[in-house]
Amino acid sequence: MVSKKLTLTNAQGFHMRPAMTFTNEMVKYPCSVTIISNGTETDGKSLMNIIAACIKCGMEIEVRCDGEKEEEALAAAVKLIESGFGE
Amino acid sequence: MLKGIGVSKGYGIGRVVIANETQISYVSKKDCNPEKEHERFISALDAFFKRNQELAKKLSETVGEKEAEIINGHIMMMRDPYMSSEIEKNIADGICAEDAFARVCDTFIAMFSSVDDEMTKQRAVDVKDIKTEILGILTGTEILDLSRIEKGSVLVAKELTPSMTACINKDNVVALVTEIGSKTSHAAILARAMEIPAVLSVVGATDELKNGDVIVVNGITGEIITSPTNEQTAFYLQKRLEYISERKALSRFIGLESKTSDGIKVDLYGNIGTPEDAERVLEYDGEGIGLFRTEFLFMDRTSAPGENEQFEAYKKALLIMKGKQVIIRTLDIGGDKDIPYMGMKKEENPFLGFRAIRYCLKNKDIFTTQLRALIRASNYGNLSIMIPLITGVDELREAKGMIKDIMDEFRANDIPFDENLKIGVMIETPAAVIMADVLAKEADFFSIGTNDLTGYTLAVDRGNADVEYLYSSYSPSVLRSIKHVITEAKKAGIPVGMCGEGAADPMLIPLLISFGLDEFSVSATSILSTRKELSRWSKSEADEAAERVMSLDTERKISQELCKITSE
Repeated sequence: MVSKKLTLTNAQGFHMRPAMTFTNEMVKYPCSVTIISNGTETDGKSLMNIIAACIKCGMEIEVRCDGEKEEEALAAAVKLIESGFGE
Repeated sequence: MLKGIGVSKGYGIGRVVIANETQISYVSKKDCNPEKEHERFISALDAFFKRNQELAKKLSETVGEKEAEIINGHIMMMRDPYMSSEIEKNIADGICAEDAFARVCDTFIAMFSSVDDEMTKQRAVDVKDIKTEILGILTGTEILDLSRIEKGSVLVAKELTPSMTACINKDNVVALVTEIGSKTSHAAILARAMEIPAVLSVVGATDELKNGDVIVVNGITGEIITSPTNEQTAFYLQKRLEYISERKALSRFIGLESKTSDGIKVDLYGNIGTPEDAERVLEYDGEGIGLFRTEFLFMDRTSAPGENEQFEAYKKALLIMKGKQVIIRTLDIGGDKDIPYMGMKKEENPFLGFRAIRYCLKNKDIFTTQLRALIRASNYGNLSIMIPLITGVDELREAKGMIKDIMDEFRANDIPFDENLKIGVMIETPAAVIMADVLAKEADFFSIGTNDLTGYTLAVDRGNADVEYLYSSYSPSVLRSIKHVITEAKKAGIPVGMCGEGAADPMLIPLLISFGLDEFSVSATSILSTRKELSRWSKSEADEAAERVMSLDTERKISQELCKITSE
């Protein structure tokens, strides 16, 4: 299992478009992807659950990947979040 | 007459077509064959994907990428692996496909609706929309096909779902009217993108209006004329034509630089009253915000807003503007506006009384809260602070001192903020005009507020019918004041803008170009017309016009001359 803590810096937070970009990328990896925000765990491959978690700009989150290709998945997740989802 | 919120501008005259909500009924069954139900669900899903992929493609070709994204979002939601596994679990339990699917949708609708966040709440509308569509496919219910309605129709509905709106053929629908919706709902966004006039939030529209009624929809005022006379119909048809041709002419100016015909570049900004208005400014291609009035935060409530609430509002505007300059004016409230919790007394002469910076410097707790929120927000974009109703440099110094103290404290506590935060002065009193050279040494920028400056310079109360005739920004005294302020700002090397109605006035624009105004800040809807006016003049033509006008000695001669010059 690998994980990393980051702060969400894109203006919209994890709203529709960023969440779509994120899940689209994450489903490519066989490992599980979990986003932890405010102590709540959210399935990082589920668009619906990410939207329901309402993760906003400025919030600190932790991304945790567990299973096959976890390193690659985490690297991809961090890259997306740090680039602000190409917003 | 009916009234709602005009969310997409223009005039629509046509026959009412009422789009009723599709009623879907099915019997929920509990002892189904899971395999059969699984197959039914998968084939419904396939049909849903196929239909929406086509729709998204059509939208991106005819309306725009951004609008197609709403439909792509629906596709992505149904591709959510968690969602499908929950549905499959229900099906495995013997629940029929309709119920298995509807239950999962309802969970998410409840979840999204309960979050205290407008954007998340909007997603509940998306799930409802998907639910109706897929249940329609499963039950074989025919869903009203909006792409087939006749030419010249005004579409009237309780609520327009994104998928309904996306199906609309913009050549056939002349206007939209709904009972539910706001400026930010999908229907409003799509209506604006398709340039269909729309009035939402019209109470009782589907009861009051009948299929086939001819109505006039005014997307600007939000008014709906239910049985127009022939004269009214003719009048609005004419207005519609004028509006369309004007907009066509203006849309050419989107994406162009704001400059004179000989290439002198100026900044063209928008004025806003709430953070959300910033989106409108961007829609009209504004290059920044020249005046963000913060009064809205303080009105219609029982106590002053706290630091965090204000911080969030300012931050929101900055994030929307993505690094473009946002000039936020500190609280400009006074005796004429009754805000009970602020403890202001009724005054004999409110405009000459206890208002704006005068109130703030006497109520330092309220002012400090606002300044702290502003300085914290400066970390999220390009924020500038503007102080209203300055009459002398001491007021500016006192405000700057308070700002410096807050910054020192933030620095000591590692609270991030923009070290280059600019502090400017709103020039709207004759005292500030006369002291412009002194103020320019200590202010980072000037912004001229023409409305109050005109009133104070001419000593006229605009609301008094007996003296109102004197109120004119074309008065030589006002024009000389404006010219003086711009000249002094130039001498000191600070930028100078204008955020009153004057900046969008075609008659004043040549003079402002000649005087050397750096920044024009106008209402969102005037941005493109101002850009067009700016492009009509070269510096030498503007100088010539200014020379002629500034040599005249009365308001009457000046306004006549300006009329003549600008219509040439």
